[in-house]
Amino acid sequence: MEVVPLSVGRVSRSWDEQALDVSAAAGQLGAAPTGGFTNAVEGVAARFTSAWERHTTGLAGEAESCADRLRAVMADYMSTDQGVGADLLRLTGYLWEQR
Amino acid sequence: MLTSFRFHRGPRMSTIWLPPTPRQVPPLQVDPGEIRAFAADLLAAAAQVDDLGTFAAGDARIADWHALAATSYRESIGPLGRRADALSLALRSVSRRADAHADAMAALVERRTTLLEERIHLFDAIQVLSARAHVATETEVPLVRAECDDCRRRVEGFEHDLTAWSGDLAAEEIAMREAFDRVLRLEQVQRRYGGVADPADAALTAMPGPGAGPGAVNAWWDALTHEHQQAVIAAAPGAIGNRDGIPPWARDAANHVALDRDLADWEYLEQRGLLTAGEEEMLENARSTRDAIDTIESGIDPVTREPVSSQLYLYDPAAFDRDGAVAVAAGNLDTADNVSVVVPGFGTEGESAPYQAERALTLYESSRFLATTETNASMFWIGYDAPDNMPWDEGWDSAGVVTEDMATHGGERLADTLDGLRDSRDGDPAHLTAIGHSYGSTTTGHAAQDHGIPVDDLVFVGSPGVGGETANAGDTGVDTDHVWAGANSRDPIANLGNHGWIHGETVFGAGLGDDPAEDDFGANRFRAESTTRADDGVGLDAFDDHSKYFDHDTESLYNISQIVNGNYAAVEHAEPVHDPFYAGVQDPEFDRGPTAADTDGK
Repeated sequence: MEVVPLSVGRVSRSWDEQALDVSAAAGQLGAAPTGGFTNAVEGVAARFTSAWERHTTGLAGEAESCADRLRAVMADYMSTDQGVGADLLRLTGYLWEQR
Repeated sequence: MLTSFRFHRGPRMSTIWLPPTPRQVPPLQVDPGEIRAFAADLLAAAAQVDDLGTFAAGDARIADWHALAATSYRESIGPLGRRADALSLALRSVSRRADAHADAMAALVERRTTLLEERIHLFDAIQVLSARAHVATETEVPLVRAECDDCRRRVEGFEHDLTAWSGDLAAEEIAMREAFDRVLRLEQVQRRYGGVADPADAALTAMPGPGAGPGAVNAWWDALTHEHQQAVIAAAPGAIGNRDGIPPWARDAANHVALDRDLADWEYLEQRGLLTAGEEEMLENARSTRDAIDTIESGIDPVTREPVSSQLYLYDPAAFDRDGAVAVAAGNLDTADNVSVVVPGFGTEGESAPYQAERALTLYESSRFLATTETNASMFWIGYDAPDNMPWDEGWDSAGVVTEDMATHGGERLADTLDGLRDSRDGDPAHLTAIGHSYGSTTTGHAAQDHGIPVDDLVFVGSPGVGGETANAGDTGVDTDHVWAGANSRDPIANLGNHGWIHGETVFGAGLGDDPAEDDFGANRFRAESTTRADDGVGLDAFDDHSKYFDHDTESLYNISQIVNGNYAAVEHAEPVHDPFYAGVQDPEFDRGPTAADTDGK
């Protein structure tokens, strides 16, 4: 069986943190003030900020997916381990001659 | 307006061609400050995205996980990290372009103002010429024609400048639009920045380690190209924002990136109810830092009448168990003739920043007002863990048990800060003054006595003692002619220091050292009374006098400012405190009527 170390759990939390941080950055980009530009530039600036809010929101989503993926690995490992534990208990009964 | 004027004088007809009316200057609606704020938001977001790239390439790889699933996981996060790196580089490039655009637009606004003024002059001149042409005699005609020709040439010059201005404006707008359009879509970002090495990486690899002094850090920084410096500011603001030896302008830029990022991050969590208690404290520190900057920038320079500029020299909202560390300067630390650092005391923490900013601002305003040909920068420095307790809030006991431990640790940090200010400065060194107020004077005393500090003048105000090992002005290592003490006769904190032969820290195990305003200490005492001082030295009103040293129109602020400016002849001296064996402590200032100084011209 392949062991899953505790660091997997810690890193899954870090991916969650990264997802939150990048989501905050996405919000910051979406709210960046474009009113200071001249009319000739403001429209392009606004298009840029909304496009980049989408890009970074997507990035945050990918970070969250990484966290989910690691959590799935841990859940799989724990359910496998529990299954093995149950099998071991059942096998214990066969370690001794019955007759 | 007529473009020519013909008239008859006797048998001949003369014609005077008037210069053409200059074109109107087109309107220009733009706000360079707002564009800079836009650029700052992009840079802060770029730093956050860069963190994701760094994480994906480092800790996220989980080195101790060995399994088939681990291999597949690592293969999947590699592209994600590289995409984050590319996005960060693209954002940084647009941010830099927006900053340059703000500068260019500010210059165009100035040029437009000049054009407007020139057009008004020309318009008036043509009107005058028109009036003169109407009444010109035959003998005056050649002169009027010559003046019209001269004016016409000026109009042509104006038209040339106006055309160039319009062209430059259009070119600048096109360049900015192109900068946005170049990286609008993810494919464009990938094509332009995918796989491009971050210039910050190589620069940071060569960065001196934590034990290196400010001189070594400054040498490393100066050896970087401008591009590398900008990359480090954007990618790793935390690595240089609080590092002694980095020039103030770069620390300010890096700390602004960190502050903007923190505010965006924690306010996002706050809105969603996800903020932890620790993050809540740090968010308050970040907001206080922003308020401190706003406080300083709300001031008006008494000489230029422009808003006062600020520099965020230190920003660490998590420092000292989240009490926070922050230092903000009014003025430019990189170039000012006179630089002063105010070290506050009791009750100071990150959230006190706006209050301390008011003091830095009044000191800036006063020192500028009193020496209009000098340039100044005044910084408050909350860079150490100060005692939280204030005797006027919590009673005498809390002050009585204060010891020098925090001042000892703080003194080391202050000495590093002052070394950093010296080492990071290019060109002529500043006239540098350290000012310790309240417990901050104990900290400043320790910095001087324990480590030596590279200051020109050392000022203690409202001091409860300057440290147990500092028995006289000479122990500070600063020329005794340049060690100063200001003590309001009503200020109870200034009366806490040792007098005569009794030393609290050695006899009672507590106390903060000698009173620098006492004759035995040997500092230059200056007048520091306030016209609003308490009637006597007892009661809670007297504690207010501990907080008036930086108020406008006080003797104290006037004299501190003259010291900061190196204008020693103008300092108003006061008789020191003395403690005869046959009586209690005597303060000759107690019975002197305080005067009202003018420190701001208002």
